[in-house]
Amino acid sequence: MNYLLLTPAFLLILLVFVLPLIRYSWMSMHSISVITGLDYIPNNGSNWIRLLNDDRFWRDTIQTIRFAAFSVSIEIVLAIIIALLLSQRIKGKGILRTISLLPWALPTTIMALGWRWIFNTPYGPIDQISSLIGFGTLDILSNPDLAWIATVIGDVWKTTPFVALIILAGLQTIPSDLYEAFKMEGGSPLQSFIKITLPLLKPYILLSLVFRLAQAFGVFDLIQVMTGGGPASSTESIAIYAYLNAMRFLDFGYSATIMIASFILLITICLFTWIFYNKLKSKLSI
Amino acid sequence: MKSRITKLLISSFTTLLLPMQSIKADDISSKTINILMPAPFADSTSYLINEYNTKHKNHKKIKVTRGPLETEAMSDLAISSLLLGNSPYDIVLIDVTWLPKYAKAQWISDLSLWFTKEEAKALASGAKLGNYFEGKLYRWPLVADMGLLYWRKDLMDKPPKTPRELIKISKNLQEKGKVKYGYVWQGRQYEGLSCVFLEVINGFGGNWIDHKGEPNLNTKNSYKAVSWLKELITEGISPKSVTNFSEPEALQIFESGEAAFMRNWPYAWAELNKDKSKVKGKVGVTVMVAENNNLATATLGSWGFSILSSSKNKLESSTVIKYLTSSSSQNYLFKKYGYTPTNTDVLKDKVLTIKYPILSSLEKGLSVAKPRPQSPLYAQMSDILQRSLSSILTNKSSIDEEMNRANKSTKDIILSAGK
Repeated sequence: MNYLLLTPAFLLILLVFVLPLIRYSWMSMHSISVITGLDYIPNNGSNWIRLLNDDRFWRDTIQTIRFAAFSVSIEIVLAIIIALLLSQRIKGKGILRTISLLPWALPTTIMALGWRWIFNTPYGPIDQISSLIGFGTLDILSNPDLAWIATVIGDVWKTTPFVALIILAGLQTIPSDLYEAFKMEGGSPLQSFIKITLPLLKPYILLSLVFRLAQAFGVFDLIQVMTGGGPASSTESIAIYAYLNAMRFLDFGYSATIMIASFILLITICLFTWIFYNKLKSKLSI
Repeated sequence: MKSRITKLLISSFTTLLLPMQSIKADDISSKTINILMPAPFADSTSYLINEYNTKHKNHKKIKVTRGPLETEAMSDLAISSLLLGNSPYDIVLIDVTWLPKYAKAQWISDLSLWFTKEEAKALASGAKLGNYFEGKLYRWPLVADMGLLYWRKDLMDKPPKTPRELIKISKNLQEKGKVKYGYVWQGRQYEGLSCVFLEVINGFGGNWIDHKGEPNLNTKNSYKAVSWLKELITEGISPKSVTNFSEPEALQIFESGEAAFMRNWPYAWAELNKDKSKVKGKVGVTVMVAENNNLATATLGSWGFSILSSSKNKLESSTVIKYLTSSSSQNYLFKKYGYTPTNTDVLKDKVLTIKYPILSSLEKGLSVAKPRPQSPLYAQMSDILQRSLSSILTNKSSIDEEMNRANKSTKDIILSAGK
């Protein structure tokens, strides 16, 4: 009976997750492109051989991991700080919480366009300020070594509120008498943060880590709008490459291969995060 | 208890299946002629379409779907609808570079049944290009579009003709402090960069893809073209940030009077002559610089109507296309929205030319228009070129190394397609 009640949810997952995955795996074993007239022609895994030898795919993988690692870790640190502030007993807490969620509520394309103009040279505010104080223009979006940092900033700005929300929920599960008892024993606020808050927040941090890693690994709209993958392809992510192959080149077989490969990579990364977390847990014996 | 749970399960299944019913919605589509166009085109043609719908009471009504503004986003929408099969549209307004791909995928149908050779002859020479694939007519042009060189009439007597002259005039004006930058163009890693490059490589006597279908990116003339673009940046003629410029960024600098030259499409003309523009009435339009006059080239970027293979209203669709691209419609679209006409009689209309002198510049631009390589693999070729150019312009790699690589990759792509 219990399982019967779960069937609708299970069917939904089957429909939107498992089926596409099976279909894409199957597509990745075929040539399906404008050249084949979009017919499915089995090609004995030559898509996969092409992928293994595709420098561009591996370069995009490294760039995607770089983007995900930096944006997610900055987001989590910032989110803890913001959540701590928002959990204080202050006036207008409700309004502050709502306002802090705004960046997350904005459509990514719109805010990415905003960031593109903020980093614009020479009219964007950032370059205006730097020219004003004598540093000249920064040309961030046209510099292959720096443009990715701009995309990280855009992502951090947008998704920190989401992480903060999860952490805030975590903070509220910590009973306040724990802090009171700790204070009576003579613990400082910093000590209570390290000894109580952080350990008890760990499950929430892990949750947001997995959530955000999965999202950041599939980053598309933000980069597509801000830089289009350039300059010199320095910001191109795996998702953009898969999109190019499917929608621009009409090479669906190879696009499916890229997506399945990135799925495998993502699962591996999440698995490592999990193992690392468990090791940390047993070490600290929390 | 059990029956309640069964009810609950049934209701949740129906909720899951409900969205699937909407797929059957194409019943309405046979009662109207459905056109998918980017939003700006939907706006500009709305008057013409209303007129058609009220005048032809016994015809099927035209229904326009407003697509996205950006060219590539529009392509994504069109392709998604085509891939799902049973596309709700009869007519799609398509960009010149999509045609070979769409034709090869058999999404669009041969129009020669409805459009005669005489009608095709009435098109301006530049507008004739980019409508055919493997000898068949697949598209009828609504508006011609080509790359133009905008120049400041208040700063010089006549525009430069050669790449050297452009640099010389720019430097001179920059040294005198008349403008901050010489020349602004589209240097971002996207389709616009390929358009810019096609004009420059042709201007230096080279070719992107030659008449045999072979890439010519590692030739002397190609190197000269890339070096010139790079020189623009290193010499400060163009701002360093030009490597992230698309059309709006270039337009903004030129519009605020900070540059002497700009490469852009005809739409910029109307923008530059609006009241908020600082260069209103000070701008001239000419063709792109080239080492000699015969080589001057304008990248063709026109939009035209195609009838989808899946349409059940092909004959009526062709009537609608003829109406929307008729000389009187073109006359209206040019006067009201500055759309470059594709029919020779409108383009060379004497009365119109006297009233709108820009028409002769547009005609000149269109006469040297060249399409980008016409291949179903064009998107891949352009992507390779954009990556390499962006890499060179941002000092990530050297010209000959990168252009050799681009040439080889392009060759590989063509080979892998078995042609």
